[in-house]
Amino acid sequence: MDGLQVGLQFLFTGLNPLQQILHCVLQWATFARSWFVIDARMQPPGKIATMCSVRLQGKHKPIYHAMSDCGDHVVVINTKQIAFSGNKWEQKVYSSHSGYPGGFKQVTAAQLHHKDPKAIVKLAVYGMLPRNLHRRTMMQRLHIFADDELPEDIQANLTEELPQPREIPRKLSEYTQEEIDAFPRLWTPQ
Amino acid sequence: MAARSMLRSVWTSFAGLKVGATCPMVKVQQRIIVPQLPALTVQSRGIRQVVEKKDNKTTTIEGQILDVPAAPQPPNPTAKCPIYRWNLQHKYNYTDVLLLSQFIRSDGGLLPRKITGLCLEEHRKIAICVQMAHRAGLLPDHKPKLPEGHVPKRPKPQLNRYLTRWSIDSVKPIYKSGLKWSKRRMPVGDPALKDNVCYSVKPLYLKH
Repeated sequence: MDGLQVGLQFLFTGLNPLQQILHCVLQWATFARSWFVIDARMQPPGKIATMCSVRLQGKHKPIYHAMSDCGDHVVVINTKQIAFSGNKWEQKVYSSHSGYPGGFKQVTAAQLHHKDPKAIVKLAVYGMLPRNLHRRTMMQRLHIFADDELPEDIQANLTEELPQPREIPRKLSEYTQEEIDAFPRLWTPQ
Repeated sequence: MAARSMLRSVWTSFAGLKVGATCPMVKVQQRIIVPQLPALTVQSRGIRQVVEKKDNKTTTIEGQILDVPAAPQPPNPTAKCPIYRWNLQHKYNYTDVLLLSQFIRSDGGLLPRKITGLCLEEHRKIAICVQMAHRAGLLPDHKPKLPEGHVPKRPKPQLNRYLTRWSIDSVKPIYKSGLKWSKRRMPVGDPALKDNVCYSVKPLYLKH
């Protein structure tokens, strides 16, 4: 079928079949939907969410257009080990209303994370996507996992791992004794 | 400091002497030149290690002076505060654990300013950085000793955090955060570290 199509196209264009096939391959490559992986360990959920929303919309591609459905899949792992800066675990409040009277619920980030470790990242990405009908389809392309384990079919699809936005600081126990000795003593007791 | 105190005692002893009336016409120099002691004779107490020796009935607790090799000279030796001596004024953060661990005790508390020799502002900045490092979990071995057999009532939730200004139990949730022009912001970091060197294009945000 493809050969026939190529042959037919060859009749109407000035390109040879090899160039035509290359053009098809390049078209498939540019419009293919890739799968990204982000490790959210010790990362702020807001920064993870911006990276996710950019790739879900397809804004990282030069061929982006809002109507051309060029978004990619994003897989976020280790959301259980997310890190908030400041005192946001206690201060940040997630509100919702069930629609019924007396159904207004306000939950702190710590309580929400305890109840559902995926919810914080999900809500963050949801709030960063454009407020149109594409948002729901983009959220379906977002896959969040609280820990390291991925199902095999998703793992088979992954193409690229994105670098973490925040540099994880090293604990004192992670420094080798040589590094600790190499650091000069700033003061000596008198 | 000992050298300074020794020199001061020498100065006072010399000042106390009455200069003999050898030449009343010649103006006696008020300033008496104190002999400069060579560096080898300057005494310093040094870092000691506590060693306990137990015989049959006697226990001897000795403070043995450790042989510390000669440390490299700081780039600014005339300054009073150790951080100014090493030109680290606005360059350290809560992540610089190697620096912060030199000013803390084994159970996580800060050493007094009179011992470390820090100036007041730097002492406060280091206190803030040490607090933030403890809350971020970067100093796992400097926790206070709990009494034996202590079982925590409720298992504490292990939440990762960084740049926490306030203590965890003292903070209340922001139920009404307000409208765009009057939001109740969540503080991050500390304004004492506002003058730190910023290598990124974006400035340091303290209110999120």
